[in-house]
Amino acid sequence: MKRVQFSSPLLPYLFLAPQLAVIVIFFYWPSVRAIQSSFYLEDPFGFGSTFVGLDNYIGTLLNPEYLAIARFTAIFTALVTFFSLALGLLLAVKADAVIRGNATYKTLLISVYAIAPPVAGLIGMMFFDQHIGPFVKIAAFFGWEMKVGLSYFDTAFAMIVVAVWKQIPYNFIFFLSGLQGLPASVREAAAIDCRSSVKRFWTVIFPLLAPTAFFLLIINVTYALFDTFGVIDVMVKDKAANNPITLVYKVYMDGFRGNDIGGSSAQSVILMIVVFVLTVLQFRFIERRIHYT
Amino acid sequence: MHRTRILDHAVLILGALFLTLPVVVAFMTSSHEAAAIHSKGLMLSPGGHFVDTYEKVLTRQGGFTGQVTGARMMMNSFILGVGFALGKIVLSMLAAYAIVYFRFRFATLAFWVIFTTLLLPLEVRIMPSYEVMSGLGLINTYTGLIVPLLASATGTFYFRQFFKSVPEELLEAARIDGAGPFKFFIDVLVPLSKTMIAAIFIIMFVYGWNQYLWPMLMTTDERFFTLMRGIKQILQVWIGSQIPDYNEAFALAVLAMLPPVLVVVVFQSWFIKGLTESDK
Amino acid sequence: MIKQFSLAAVSIALTATSSLAATNISWWHGMAGRNGEVINEVAQKFNASQTACALTPVSKGTYEEALASGIAAFRSGEQPNILQVFDAGAATIINAKGAVVPAEDLIKEAGYEFDRNSFIEGVRYFYADSDGKFVGMPFNSSAPIMYINDEALKKAGVAAPKTWEEFEAAAPKLKEAGFIPLVQSQLTWQFTENFFSRNNIQFATNNNGYDSVADTQLKVTDPNLVMMFDKLKSWADQGYFAYYGAGWNDNQKPFEENKVALWIGSSGSFGGLQKTAQMPFSADFLPYWGSISGAGTNSFIGGAALFAMAGKPAEENKCVADFFQFLTSPEIQKFYHQATGYVAITTAAYELTKSEGYYDKTPVAEVGIKQLMLPAGEWSKGYRLGFYPQIREIMEREYGRIFSGETSVKDAFDTIEREGNELLARFAKTAG
Repeated sequence: MKRVQFSSPLLPYLFLAPQLAVIVIFFYWPSVRAIQSSFYLEDPFGFGSTFVGLDNYIGTLLNPEYLAIARFTAIFTALVTFFSLALGLLLAVKADAVIRGNATYKTLLISVYAIAPPVAGLIGMMFFDQHIGPFVKIAAFFGWEMKVGLSYFDTAFAMIVVAVWKQIPYNFIFFLSGLQGLPASVREAAAIDCRSSVKRFWTVIFPLLAPTAFFLLIINVTYALFDTFGVIDVMVKDKAANNPITLVYKVYMDGFRGNDIGGSSAQSVILMIVVFVLTVLQFRFIERRIHYT
Repeated sequence: MHRTRILDHAVLILGALFLTLPVVVAFMTSSHEAAAIHSKGLMLSPGGHFVDTYEKVLTRQGGFTGQVTGARMMMNSFILGVGFALGKIVLSMLAAYAIVYFRFRFATLAFWVIFTTLLLPLEVRIMPSYEVMSGLGLINTYTGLIVPLLASATGTFYFRQFFKSVPEELLEAARIDGAGPFKFFIDVLVPLSKTMIAAIFIIMFVYGWNQYLWPMLMTTDERFFTLMRGIKQILQVWIGSQIPDYNEAFALAVLAMLPPVLVVVVFQSWFIKGLTESDK
Repeated sequence: MIKQFSLAAVSIALTATSSLAATNISWWHGMAGRNGEVINEVAQKFNASQTACALTPVSKGTYEEALASGIAAFRSGEQPNILQVFDAGAATIINAKGAVVPAEDLIKEAGYEFDRNSFIEGVRYFYADSDGKFVGMPFNSSAPIMYINDEALKKAGVAAPKTWEEFEAAAPKLKEAGFIPLVQSQLTWQFTENFFSRNNIQFATNNNGYDSVADTQLKVTDPNLVMMFDKLKSWADQGYFAYYGAGWNDNQKPFEENKVALWIGSSGSFGGLQKTAQMPFSADFLPYWGSISGAGTNSFIGGAALFAMAGKPAEENKCVADFFQFLTSPEIQKFYHQATGYVAITTAAYELTKSEGYYDKTPVAEVGIKQLMLPAGEWSKGYRLGFYPQIREIMEREYGRIFSGETSVKDAFDTIEREGNELLARFAKTAG
């Protein structure tokens, strides 16, 4: 927190009120309902329900398939987060550095962010099509017979590529705005102090970008966990079969498609707890190393 | 020095190619016929059906009531995008301002109440959310479409990160000048946040613009159809019996990209500051 | 406040339709593309045919999304009059006692005759209760049939197989002629659910689940089914069968590209194939095993049915009954059949279509109906299994593992039976 702050008995609450109201009504209330449902086996139309205590949780956590999905989710999240952050940062730094063509690069890189998710998925699917996909043909040239949809590894690979591709522009935008926000005096001073540009970046510029990087870390982790849902749905052609899927896709399969309200609520709650712990850990351990001013 | 410049350009060109190639491909593909796309896949060269496909998606009156045109869907998506982006920026700047710049009793509690919402997307709690909206009578309204989507803390989090890195001296100086919380916010913080606001606006506009599941659940009136719904409608043909009109889906997708590009171009001046600009 | 809002909503709904005096009814469906347009056309025809009722169809995304929207709306009292529900979701809506008014009751209350026997055999039971009463009104129906690459068969000098034994004999010749002898597009629907119907074998206890939800158990470790998959696996190993994963289109594509001799698809697939297949093709029934006694019975429908949601005023229900009556009329059935490729569901509609010579021009369109009209067996009526979408997912997972070599056929079916039975037991508790 700031050393110098305003103090006012009412103002902060006034500023917080709209955000809190929306969150309480549309986040906490539905979440409480989900927790409630997780202790029941419920007819989706609301006619019958049986209280089953922790059965939904026990059934989920003891299922080896669920644990395999959890393992894949962890690996997937780590890889997607790492690659989309690294590539987004690389491009932002380069776009910030060049002078000629600066505007063109930025426009190009930002605008692809806007491509519609179902179409991004469609393009991804067509790129990796078993019979006519250009990517598959290139892989075949190197002796790799890709079977997206049948081979676990190949499907996982395709999912990660598409998920990273979709997220790079997001990270690019925020890293770029972070870089543009740095005072020119700091950069000039750094340039004088430190001739090596690589070293200059990691010792001077990156620490200043740390608040943005930390924000993006959390956002990317949640992206990989949740928002890749559409990518996965398209890549498995809406039939998970023996392909890799993530935990949130499993929630969707059981809850939205299978109408198992109790079981999917328990899965949602497990997800909430996992991500909550992750978020707390990130705020507690990583944020400590960030110097804000 | 020269070699690094060339390297920089090489990285940027490669990156731009990797990211934009699919968009180019989508554009090219949209000018072919559906059956050709189905059997040959993505196209790298233009086909001969550019004008008729685009004319069709823009003007054809779809749906039962005939009110679902490409233009109508674009307008709805635009309302959703702008409404969501503005709502998000206002709510989150205010909340972040309170959290960073004020000393108050329940600060820590408010912080955690807000930031735990980073966790859970709407999709996971979509059924209870629907029940709330229906109880409030907000089905088939723009309010019902936009407000529930605002219940997440991404924007607040981002502004918090930024406000915290604003030099302390600014507030000290402002207070010496006798500025109150409102004046400081409007005269100092908002102008300082220009690039941040632009970044958030682009991201949030596109997020709202691309919404699918929530509008689908929330509206039963065809006048609320969005572009995303139009695209999904075309693609969601059971392949077993028909071929989806891939060309129309790609054409709509290309159209769907225009407004966000426009937003980017408009906000570009905030983004692109050469080294010539003087220090803040 | 709330009242005001809902009044506003009603007035919007009113202005949206043509006639103010008419009773408005709504129909939520999960169809898109050309099939979605045909739904609009059917509704327009209905509205034009009378003045008392005004029907408004609304597309609610996919089948799953339509069902989920219907459920969410029902819980808030905002349900539509008619909801389209797909085959695998039938148990969910039918077992929720009180969610729907059985179609047959609705039609009879409106003063119409209802003759179950006017529907073709394979359509009659799937959405009915164990007494045969229609709960859902079958709407878009299809059957799994075998598409034949005429060129390939000619080149190999073999006839289209009626049984899997005949296929086994023909497969080496087809392979030698340079074709993949067999592909399919949905192992669950074509080689499991309808394996049981075509070969007349029990799928689950409690009369395939129709009699009760309590203690219903899958019988997928049936030796005949295991044998079918053992065969498929060994055919795959010998190059007589190719499997490209659970995606429908990945498996259909090689057939379109003239690389495959026989493809198991849907009776509705011919419309798309006519545009994409690079060779002449025809169709025949889904093969069965000559060695299984009693095999060769009809298959049951896939697709979806229309359900009349409960909790609606009597005059609206009357309109729904009018619409169901309109929908099953031979003229409309014929129109729908020809416009979408789904089968006609009544004998009268089939006869009408036939008499006009439609099948002389497009013989492929008749194959599915004829297969549904074959004599029924004890186990060819369908199934009523709770949480069935998840059970299908388990099957798809294990089948994928069989063909990628991660598991054996026997282990796969043991797993499907065990996990499937756990789900069925859980489903029984939701009704509690």
